Amino acid sequence: MGKKELKVAFLLALRSLQRGSRSSVILTILIIGMCFTNMIFLPSMFNGIGQSITRQVVDYEVGNVLVSPKSGDKYVADIHATLDLINGMPGVERATPHFTKGATLKYRQRVLGVSVRAISPNDEKFISPLYTKMVAGSYLGDADIGEVIIGRPVAGDASIRQEDEFQASLGGVRVGDSITIDYGNGYVKDYRVKGIYFTGWSQADSAVYVTYTDMALVDPKALDNAESITVKAKPGYSEKFIKNELLAYGVGGSGKVQTTADLLSKSMGRALQSFAIINMVSLVVSIIITTVVLFIVITIKTLSSRKQIGILKAIGVDKEVIMHNYGFQVIILGILGIILGIFLTLILAAYMAVNPIVTPEWSATLYVTPLDLFINSVILFIAAVVAGYVPAYQISREDIQTAMRS
Amino acid sequence: MIEISELRKTYRMGDVEVNALDGINLEIAKGEFLGIMGASGSGKTTLLHMLGLLDEPTSGKITIDDVDVGRLNDYEKTQFRLYKLGYVFQDYALVPDLTVMENVSLPAMLRLDRTDEQTQAGSFEVLQKIGLCDRRDHLPRELSGGQQQRVSIARAMVNKPDILFADEPCANLDSENSRLVLELFKEINEEFHQTIVMVSHEDWHKNYFHRIIKLKDGKIVSDGTNGSSAH
Ligand SMILES: Nc1ncnc2c1ncn2[C@@H]1O[C@H](COP(=O)(O)OP(=O)(O)O)[C@@H](O)[C@H]1O
Ligand SMILES: [Mg+2]
Repeated sequence: MGKKELKVAFLLALRSLQRGSRSSVILTILIIGMCFTNMIFLPSMFNGIGQSITRQVVDYEVGNVLVSPKSGDKYVADIHATLDLINGMPGVERATPHFTKGATLKYRQRVLGVSVRAISPNDEKFISPLYTKMVAGSYLGDADIGEVIIGRPVAGDASIRQEDEFQASLGGVRVGDSITIDYGNGYVKDYRVKGIYFTGWSQADSAVYVTYTDMALVDPKALDNAESITVKAKPGYSEKFIKNELLAYGVGGSGKVQTTADLLSKSMGRALQSFAIINMVSLVVSIIITTVVLFIVITIKTLSSRKQIGILKAIGVDKEVIMHNYGFQVIILGILGIILGIFLTLILAAYMAVNPIVTPEWSATLYVTPLDLFINSVILFIAAVVAGYVPAYQISREDIQTAMRS
Repeated sequence: MIEISELRKTYRMGDVEVNALDGINLEIAKGEFLGIMGASGSGKTTLLHMLGLLDEPTSGKITIDDVDVGRLNDYEKTQFRLYKLGYVFQDYALVPDLTVMENVSLPAMLRLDRTDEQTQAGSFEVLQKIGLCDRRDHLPRELSGGQQQRVSIARAMVNKPDILFADEPCANLDSENSRLVLELFKEINEEFHQTIVMVSHEDWHKNYFHRIIKLKDGKIVSDGTNGSSAH
């Protein structure tokens, strides 16, 4: 196959697309573009959900690495020494203890079971954007005693009757109100609501936060024990690196060290498996549609120009030129379709970034990476080329007599 | 020089056998303008296709300029057609999506011995010859039948082939356009000494041919110079 032959094949392909049926070209490109979008949409959406869950888990639960009690233990012991140790390690932005107790909230006639999370407010700022999520009042200060911040769903709305509530609440608590927390070990204490927050992460929103100092008064064990230690990595340091570092420094002696990915792979493993199956189905369907459409388009093209193909051969055009003519047509259609598909996907992604699907557990946006776009383009391109070259090959081998007399 | 000996072509349709060509022996000299005539179904197209390497004979031998074309493989045949032969078909057979200029230059573009400039100049030259230079950017469907046939002749001529085959090139044309086409063939033949083999069944075309063979049922029934048939 010489350069001149490829040039002629390309000219024939280009002219056929330029001057042939405009509507068939547009329709074909549209279908490939839609198939591309379809191929990438579901996986990207699942990816987006996964990303949003991961981000919230990082933001409100784990940081990057979680030190939790070893199996059999209830607490991570010796927290002051451990915190000092971790905070001194390179790559660690901040380590901070968490201590959670189940409790009952009381406000006027309402009673609500919640978890009370104890945090070191200023250290927590390094781990969690909670302090930026205040919708009323203000965030906790390190020395606050008898002050609590509560999630908006916990606070509730005074204008909604109790029986109409979607989620049980205290029925309209406002900043400055006093609520009672019954810790169940006989320790009952009144708190002033210092602030109300809303994060969008239901676990955090249905909880309340007090200071670690306050908790130590409630449960003296909190003085030297933590339920967990959350560790935030500095930018540029991987979770894995921090985990290995912690283990190398012997933190594994006081607790179990896990990254967010470790924790999520356990809880989300099954979900990810189902995602993978759905993704595979959507991928296969898209590829089949693209292949079939292109196969039909090119087959019709070749069959309706059999005679012309015979003539071209008669005047000395080699069968390879004929084949690549249709091949090039498919390549051009494929590339244009894929470009359209990328364009559609990016528009969808931009739209969903502004209008995500929001649920209490996660918000879904399209998470599309250049690598996803690239891989899907390559897959679809290969499918397109195969679909085009099969009929092109067949028709190009037909003998001149059969073609010319057709 | 074309030499044909004992050429046979048998088509088999179920149990029926048709001897489209039944033992043809013929020599065509270089520079000859040969007319093949005969009734419909007498084997004219079949013979032309054999000579043009578009079909394989059942038996017999064709030699063109000392090449036994039966021994060429598929690719060699394609190259042989591209470098030595030209074709004009009854229904013009232009590529509908290419302009007049593109149609004409197509065979030249494939030639390895032509630069782009030569292809361009050559195509321009033949378009001038057929008088359609001003239509070079038009599509075939924008031309009349006669004009399209002239374009198809230009395409056949662009590579200056040694032999030009034409299968009833005037069948779809009125007599005015037919005359134009025949005059064009005559000019080419006289100017470049190209061998021309043309199939026709119009009696008045005879005046243009140097020599006429008449086919009947796949056999040559007469062979003579310009009308005065002799055996
Ligand atoms: N592909 C074919 N299959 C079967 N019979 C054919 C085929 N091509 C031609 N024939 C037969 O061969 C004979 C000669 O045909 P052809 O060369 O086309 O005649 P002409 O060009 O003189 O009209 C006819 O009887 C025709 O029916
Ligand atoms: Mg015929």
